[in-house]
Amino acid sequence: MGTEGARDRPAPAADVFSADAEVGKDLATVDWATHPLGPPADWPQSLRTAVSILLSSRFSMWMAWGPELTFFCNSAYRRDTLGSKYPWALGRPASEVWAEIWDDIGPRIDTVLSTGEATWDQALLLFVQRSGYPEESYHTFSYSPLRDDNGHVVGMLCVVSEDTERVIGERRMATLRDLGSDPSVVRTEEEMLAFSGRQLSGNLADLPFTLTYLFEDDGSARLANAAGIGAGHPAAPAKLPTGGAEGAWPVAAPALGESALVPLDAELFTELPTGRWPAPPTQALVVPLLQQGGSPYGFLVAGLNQHRPLDDAYRGFVELVAGHIAAGIASARSYRAQQQRAEELAELDRAKTTFFSNISHEFRTPLTLIMGPLEELRGRLAQSDPQVQQELEVIHRNGLRLGKLVNTLLDFSRIEAGRMQATYEPADLAAVTSELASVFRSAIDRAGLDFIVDCPPLDEPVYIDRSMWEKVMLNLLSNALKFTFDGSIAVVVRAANGEAVVTVRDTGIGVPAEEMPRLFERFHRIENARSRSNEGSGIGLALVQELVNLHGGAISARSTEGEGTSFSIRLPFGAAHLSSDALTPQAGTSAAPVHASPYVQEALRWLPGGQRGASTVDTIDGEPVTGPGIAARVLIADDNADMREYLSRLLAGAGYEVRAVNDGLDALDAIRAQAPDLVVSDVMMPRLDGLALVAALRTDPRTAAVPVLLLSARAGQEASIEGLQAGADDYLVKPFAAAELLARVRANVELARLRNHHARWRTALVDSLQEAFFVCDQDGAVIEINTAFTDILGYGPENLPYPSMHPWWPDADTDPEAHRQVADAFAGLLDQNKGSYTIPVTHRDGHRLWISATFNPAQDPDSGRTVTVGTFRDATADHYAIQRDSALASLSTCLTQAEDLPQALSAALAELKELWRATSVLAVVFDRGDTPTLTATEPGLTWQQLPAERRQALTDLCERPLLAPTLDSAGAGIILEHPDGPMALWVDLGDQRPFSSEDQLLLSLLAGHLAQGLTRAHQIDQQREIALVLQRAILGPSQLPEGFAVRYEPATRPLEVGGDWYDTVSLPDGRIGIVVGDCVGRGLEAATVMGQLRSACRALLLQDASPARTLMALDHFAAGVPGAMCTTVFCGVLNPDTGRLTYSSAGHPPGILAHPDGTTVLLDGGRYAPLAVRPGTARPEAACDVPARATLLLYTDGLVERRRRPLTSGIDQAGEAVQAGRDSAVDDLATQVMERLAPAGGYDDDVALLLYRHPAPLEMTFPAESEQLAPVRKALRSWLDQCDLPPRTVQNVLVAAGEACANAIEHGHRHNPGEPIRLRAEALVDDLHLSVVDSGNWKPPQPELNAHRGRGVTLMRAMMQQVTITPSPAGTTVGMHTRIV
Amino acid sequence: MTTPLTLTARSRPDGTPLLKAVGEIDMSNTDALAAALDATAGPLVIDLTEVDYLDSAGLSVLFAHADRLELIAGPLLTPVLTISGLADLTTTRGPDV
Repeated sequence: MGTEGARDRPAPAADVFSADAEVGKDLATVDWATHPLGPPADWPQSLRTAVSILLSSRFSMWMAWGPELTFFCNSAYRRDTLGSKYPWALGRPASEVWAEIWDDIGPRIDTVLSTGEATWDQALLLFVQRSGYPEESYHTFSYSPLRDDNGHVVGMLCVVSEDTERVIGERRMATLRDLGSDPSVVRTEEEMLAFSGRQLSGNLADLPFTLTYLFEDDGSARLANAAGIGAGHPAAPAKLPTGGAEGAWPVAAPALGESALVPLDAELFTELPTGRWPAPPTQALVVPLLQQGGSPYGFLVAGLNQHRPLDDAYRGFVELVAGHIAAGIASARSYRAQQQRAEELAELDRAKTTFFSNISHEFRTPLTLIMGPLEELRGRLAQSDPQVQQELEVIHRNGLRLGKLVNTLLDFSRIEAGRMQATYEPADLAAVTSELASVFRSAIDRAGLDFIVDCPPLDEPVYIDRSMWEKVMLNLLSNALKFTFDGSIAVVVRAANGEAVVTVRDTGIGVPAEEMPRLFERFHRIENARSRSNEGSGIGLALVQELVNLHGGAISARSTEGEGTSFSIRLPFGAAHLSSDALTPQAGTSAAPVHASPYVQEALRWLPGGQRGASTVDTIDGEPVTGPGIAARVLIADDNADMREYLSRLLAGAGYEVRAVNDGLDALDAIRAQAPDLVVSDVMMPRLDGLALVAALRTDPRTAAVPVLLLSARAGQEASIEGLQAGADDYLVKPFAAAELLARVRANVELARLRNHHARWRTALVDSLQEAFFVCDQDGAVIEINTAFTDILGYGPENLPYPSMHPWWPDADTDPEAHRQVADAFAGLLDQNKGSYTIPVTHRDGHRLWISATFNPAQDPDSGRTVTVGTFRDATADHYAIQRDSALASLSTCLTQAEDLPQALSAALAELKELWRATSVLAVVFDRGDTPTLTATEPGLTWQQLPAERRQALTDLCERPLLAPTLDSAGAGIILEHPDGPMALWVDLGDQRPFSSEDQLLLSLLAGHLAQGLTRAHQIDQQREIALVLQRAILGPSQLPEGFAVRYEPATRPLEVGGDWYDTVSLPDGRIGIVVGDCVGRGLEAATVMGQLRSACRALLLQDASPARTLMALDHFAAGVPGAMCTTVFCGVLNPDTGRLTYSSAGHPPGILAHPDGTTVLLDGGRYAPLAVRPGTARPEAACDVPARATLLLYTDGLVERRRRPLTSGIDQAGEAVQAGRDSAVDDLATQVMERLAPAGGYDDDVALLLYRHPAPLEMTFPAESEQLAPVRKALRSWLDQCDLPPRTVQNVLVAAGEACANAIEHGHRHNPGEPIRLRAEALVDDLHLSVVDSGNWKPPQPELNAHRGRGVTLMRAMMQQVTITPSPAGTTVGMHTRIV
Repeated sequence: MTTPLTLTARSRPDGTPLLKAVGEIDMSNTDALAAALDATAGPLVIDLTEVDYLDSAGLSVLFAHADRLELIAGPLLTPVLTISGLADLTTTRGPDV
């Protein structure tokens, strides 16, 4: 039936193969005439649809159809998969075309054909014979069923994308990733090679076996590792001689850095391992292990997978593997070298420490020898060259400083060794202290501070060692000056609690509370404290405490940050606490303090007047200049002006471009402005120290690679480890030799250049990946990408970093769902650093992509920070394949569930709207009507409401070939076949959203599917319609006489008929035959019996209006109809004028007559057996009168019969239901009775019900002429008489009706006499309703002009209980009712 | 078809003119009633005893002559005459027994 519609119209595309010129032409040359499918002209619509979808698609597809599963494919499939089998394959059985993989795909196709369910296989390995050898290939495909016009599965469609490149690419990627994983565990070359071997054994598909040979010094090669092959195998000799002509593998070529391809046909290659495949490799590739700037380390032999061609990708992979191994060897060898150097350095450090601690006192002699002559020189050259003077000053100051430091260190080692030789003499502590304080006065004055010295004489002497006390006071004062920028410094001496108390108080920066406990700790320095200089060793206060303790005293400190610090020293009076050996009588000397000069000199240097001018840069004569090969920039950061000048001179002299700054912050600014080749920085600097500078550089990707050489006066292993841990590249301890500094600077500059070379190599490696690669920092900003990343997303490295949200996130406003998915994945990246997601993203040009991303945490080897390293691939094709599959499935579901064609279409449109999240979806059928029929996802939308341009666009679509999508700015359209004509389908995307080629393919597939679904739904509709017409024809009269109401409820859905029936027959004499019957059984079988009995009974009544005789004749008829026996029938004849009813019952439940006075009578006379039980026996007949306003109820037993209940109680209940509806019109009453008697779960048997209320309502239509009033009145009077009303009521009703009719004639139709007026009167049990309807407009009431009209309405209202006059443009209705008393 | 109405003019024994109506009076035949009324002058007795139906159109004709009319009407018409107010303007009595 479905193809008939198609045959009526010519196929829109003349040739089924026209969608693709090339493949179509080859398909056309198949000898279809002798083919089982027959010539294309005779193909069913479904096959033609399938073939045109196939050919018009640019997606790779093939299909099989019919008993032989005839093979069809499109050009994409030909290109991607079929290879040399084209065009041989066209029209052949699929099992022949794919004979070599039929074991794999055959069962899948069987499943589709037998279950009708689609299959889905992802990346299935298939060995296809398309390039002359069994080729390893991977395919992601879905087989979905193809149905013929009758909905039977007769073929299958395969949408396939080949994944070979991806699967193999991923496999190789994984191997490369594994090779590079966790290098921290690899220490030695042997470990590294063993590790690599294990990783290579993990991919025996690409590398069935591998051998790693390393060159020996004599040019021979030794086997260092074998993977996938036993080390004793003839193909894996432990040694390969130089030249290697007779060996298993060529040695000469890799030694020259060249690769070689070796055919594995020699005898020693028999019984090679096969790797993952059934057969061994036939070729091996020998690749050198290249060394940067040197001859190769060795070479890698890789057995090759014989199921893949040795293309660029395969060769590149093997080379990358070799590159990894070479890099591993380089790193292992370099690690070994570094380790050796580190051990040497540690040994040196230990020696240095011993040296310093044991012989630092030896410094004193040379220092004295320097300082002595220096003093002389200064005096002598006081008038000479200022430059010489300046340099002498520098030497002098630093000589003093060095001397001071050496002395302090010596003091400590003495104290520690218990060898401090103290000599305590009684002294006037106040005088000694104030004298020491005065030494500092000039420096403190110069700093702009108040200096308060409050030292009144004490009553008792205090025993002190003078030189020690000097150190105590000078250290405290120097400290106070260093950290005080305004306010005052005070020195106070008092006696308290039997002790002398000396207090040094300042208003400086104070000490943070958390630092107080460590204040006197040796070498402890308060970080980041603002001070006049960062010079200092952190041992001053520790020494002070030691010295005070030696005096039997104690020192304490109080400080408030930002307010100042106060040190209090308590010394006991007398000598009882001191060893008597160390006491000496008072010497009484009051010479100037011996050791004051270095302290004061140093302090003066901190103050503004003490600073040097701009640094002068000179070449140092006599220094061997060991500068860089190429000009390199060096930045110097040091707070010590002398050191800055010295370093600048030294490095500039060696040919570097030098720039010098004062501290870490300035250095950071300078580096960010222009990155130097090397930074030489002091560790201790105010504002930002050297370690913090390194840390800051390393956290910023732009400066992370800048090499830093730290200089520090802090010797010892711990300090240097701290520096290197912070990320410094090298560490040099002061004092250092100029040559050593220059050597280190040069080494670091060159190393940095070498490192950059490695970085370039790494970039090239990352860029060669097929997958996109990226690195995220801890905040999720993308800081590094490769070229595949740019290829896939369109975002290049020029705009790095890309902070979150990244620009490829889908827009939160227009696509909130996609945005949320990306946000979730990103949250996973930030929280766990690892995971795998498939998410939608937006290409830079705006189009939608799906990517499968995987990421893992990694340690950045440069900065030590945790970063996230991820890769992703373009999964758009996979995503859309799955989407297509589920869209087809859900469309199929909604088409199957629809009950009829319009519902199927609406459901399909809703499905499409959901799928594309479209604004709306329209379907317009260009059927034969003037206006196309529109169905839309928006209910109530009509064709006329569409904008004109949309209507035109939809009409134009009809000119397009079937199932070919058309796009415009607002959405996509397609034309397909609807059973009523061509149907244009329109998906309105609203917001300029792109409609990709995948979307177009999907639309075309779904439209083809929809067309088939609609055809099927149409066939079902037609069948159902026929069934309904037939059923209704046998059920009962479509027009009932006035006064009757019927209900019918079949027990069996969806049938609308059953075994019960009702009938009314207008007899020639004006009487009405009434029949209610019930055949045995239900469903279709009972319905056919019922139809025959009903027709027969009707004919018999028309022939002889006697119920008894009719039933007797029906007895005979029923006897001849199978299944008619025992049918029960109530048959009656009613005179509608008089209410006289004669009846006879063939075993049927009694009729119920409800009188207006509330009593109920059962019509239980005239009864005899059901039909055909005793044919030929005379049947009785009974009669009764139906009184005015009484109601007659006839029914079948389904209405009253209930399990576990006598029939009589159901009959009583029915009688009550009729009585309860006294105030209802008879049709409403029928509804009420059905509802009231319905069992809780609905009727479970057929129910027929017939109601009649006597008399039937009066209906009259007469022309609007005054002459009609009298006959109308006459008819109304006669009807009112039938209603048995009191005479007074009759007259009232007559007057009221007469006035209403007169109004209708006079006003309603005063301009158009003769128009119809309708009068209806209906008697309920206690109520009488009347209505008069005209089609005109009444005059507005104007009582003064129409006194008698006003009177008319007054009369109506007086005569009736209620009068309503309802004017409307279509006419006026007067409704009236009165109670019947 | 005009509603059947017979109008017969007579004189009462006292000489007062008497108009006897038999049938029904509605808008289709009020013209005849009006003509019969206009044909007389002075007091007039109208006998409506045998009128089965009188609507507002008929009443309006009677109202026009109310001041000189005396009505004789049976119980069937009494509600109409009372409700319309005509009974208040004219002398209305029942039929002679």
